[in-house]
Amino acid sequence: MKKMLCVVLCLMLAIGMFTVASAENVVVEAVPNEGQFEGQELSILVSADWMADRYDATIARFEETYGVTVDLQTLPADQYFDVLTSGLANGTCADVFWIQSNPVGAIESMIGDPENRCIDFTGADWQNVMPESRQSACISGGKLYGLQIWNNSPEYVMLYNKTLFDELGLAVPTTYAELKDVCAKIAEQGITPWFMAGADGWRHQLAFFQIGGVYEEATPGLYDALNNNTATFAGNEKMLEVLNQFKELSDLGYFGEDWIGTDSTNQSNEFADRTVAMTIENSGTIKQIKDDTGTTDEFGLFLCPLGDNTWYTTSPAGPTMFGYKGTEHEDLVRAWFQFVCTPESLQEILDNSPKYTNLHVNVDIEQHWLPEEEAFIATVPAEKMECCVLQNGTKYTNDYWMQFGQDMIEFVQGGIDANEVLTRMDGYRAEAAKNVGDPAWK
Amino acid sequence: MNKKKVYPQWFLILPLVLYIVFFLFPSLLGVFYSFTDWGRATPKNGLHFVGLKNYIDIFTSNKNYSAGILNTLKFTVVSNIVKIIPALFLAIILFEGIRGMGAYRTVFYLPSIIPFVIIGIIFTSVLNFKNGMLNGALEAIGLGALKQKWLSDLNVVWKSIYMVDAWRGIGYVMTIFMTGLSTIDKSYYEAAKVDGANFWQRLWHVTLPMMRGAIMINLVFGVTYGLKVFDIVYVLTNGGPGHATEVMTTYSFQLYGAGSYGLATAFNAILLLITMVAGILIVRGMSRKGAA
Repeated sequence: MKKMLCVVLCLMLAIGMFTVASAENVVVEAVPNEGQFEGQELSILVSADWMADRYDATIARFEETYGVTVDLQTLPADQYFDVLTSGLANGTCADVFWIQSNPVGAIESMIGDPENRCIDFTGADWQNVMPESRQSACISGGKLYGLQIWNNSPEYVMLYNKTLFDELGLAVPTTYAELKDVCAKIAEQGITPWFMAGADGWRHQLAFFQIGGVYEEATPGLYDALNNNTATFAGNEKMLEVLNQFKELSDLGYFGEDWIGTDSTNQSNEFADRTVAMTIENSGTIKQIKDDTGTTDEFGLFLCPLGDNTWYTTSPAGPTMFGYKGTEHEDLVRAWFQFVCTPESLQEILDNSPKYTNLHVNVDIEQHWLPEEEAFIATVPAEKMECCVLQNGTKYTNDYWMQFGQDMIEFVQGGIDANEVLTRMDGYRAEAAKNVGDPAWK
Repeated sequence: MNKKKVYPQWFLILPLVLYIVFFLFPSLLGVFYSFTDWGRATPKNGLHFVGLKNYIDIFTSNKNYSAGILNTLKFTVVSNIVKIIPALFLAIILFEGIRGMGAYRTVFYLPSIIPFVIIGIIFTSVLNFKNGMLNGALEAIGLGALKQKWLSDLNVVWKSIYMVDAWRGIGYVMTIFMTGLSTIDKSYYEAAKVDGANFWQRLWHVTLPMMRGAIMINLVFGVTYGLKVFDIVYVLTNGGPGHATEVMTTYSFQLYGAGSYGLATAFNAILLLITMVAGILIVRGMSRKGAA
């Protein structure tokens, strides 16, 4: 059932790509300013990169419009969820908080008790600003709690320096063997083949999770079985194969000399300086590299070939904003959500997002799709998009993203074997299921 | 005995009440919760007594929680050694009255007032393998062979943590030692010198015995700090690479974040027990020596 839902949502997302967002143009107006919020403070708790600089102008306008101040608390990704859950548990959460939501129970498992912790926005003017596929990640128990304003670009696929590949006479790899061969040739030039920012704590897992289609293809019905607790990660041959390939690339030095201690702060420059050739990234990063560095190199996208992957898994998930029910300024929180959804704010957010080329909204704003994105999508058959990324197609998996990343590093450094990484994920998911009283785990 | 000179016992009531309400009661409550399945679903499913299950899970889990306990104990021992011994010699050197003593004292003490978050930002940058200042400096002076992956190599990462922790804590420990040194009468040293005692003999037979109080304070503070260590690990490695630098508090924090509050409080209860035992042993040991 969850898989069916996911497939339908993925199809909706795939169909939504490059279609004109204004098919259903929803126009939301800001709450009129009658001095009702004067002097109040709105606190927002968010993980790094989810708002980044793209909301700054909108926040400034919000402050100016209503005479309020916004206390933006941005935390490093590896610390965010711990701080959020502590705040929710002890009643000290910010007025507005974010989670990485999805349609398969993220709200319940990450927030715990949405009815008592989140403001119920059911019936809000802005609900239909989000396409239905996004709304599903914002609704729990029939009530609207979240707002997901996110892009619909190709997400976390392989981004590569096309000019460099052309100069070295390299073709885009489509299998793991080809990838290894390409990496060897790039490494011979003294260039790091695959930029892997392990110190970020959340990136290296993408190579394993974003190719969920290969796992489902190798074991049909896997997602449903994982959601019903009739299958485990442990012992899954395809997953073991992918983890071992990841380790092999690391052992061969193709991620760079110290990828575990490297963060992504300098990624744009590394690409522009040609010290790296590929990475897993969002398509909008192409725009960012060019904007940041002025490089004349051309970039492209291809499917991650680990596990001989041929799937472009899509994700009806993304960072989602919620209002905290314990806030002293509920009307101000509601006004903020409304304000964000006005066409002016949405355009502002997109225009201030170097990384994103579009916003997946039912509002008539000017999108900035890249030709590279169109070229990439054209290479993937529609049926190869009918699968969710593993972390958002299976329950409780995304909740333990960071721990899985730590386990992957322990595996790469030789502390545990690949199956132990998967066994631990089963343990994490069981823990989360127990914490929310999931009957499938009883 | 003149009763007027003795403080009445009711003076104790207020601090005792504060201690019971804000320390003893929450601690006992935490111990109670460690025997339950307290978790994110408790408001929905209720609280259930689970006996020793949480404790058994800690010592039998495939997540190697017991390594976190061992790491905590190792950190407690090593971090105190690398702080207390250098701090003692620094205190003695500065107390001898070298030129610019005030400036040195300030410089050594300053790191201990810098927040851990700032220290984390500074040192993750300084210790970066590729672009960090430390490796850059080593390379610049022709010692490139000593370059390390300071925060990602399993053989080096703990040393980096000890180094940063010592950088931050030595000044504080040194200040307590300097206070201790200032209480030693100069005549003891003069007498020892007259008897022909060298520096090491004066240190062993005069300085250390007379500084028992300062040493005990530093040991108690250092051991309790070491057992409770969280910040320095969290900001530098967050328990990584992998789980190599996990300590009890980082595991407890993760479990709390994951909604397994009962298991997290079991960790805290173990920590409480270890801290109490260590504290009692140190104070008793030092008191006995003092009485001898």
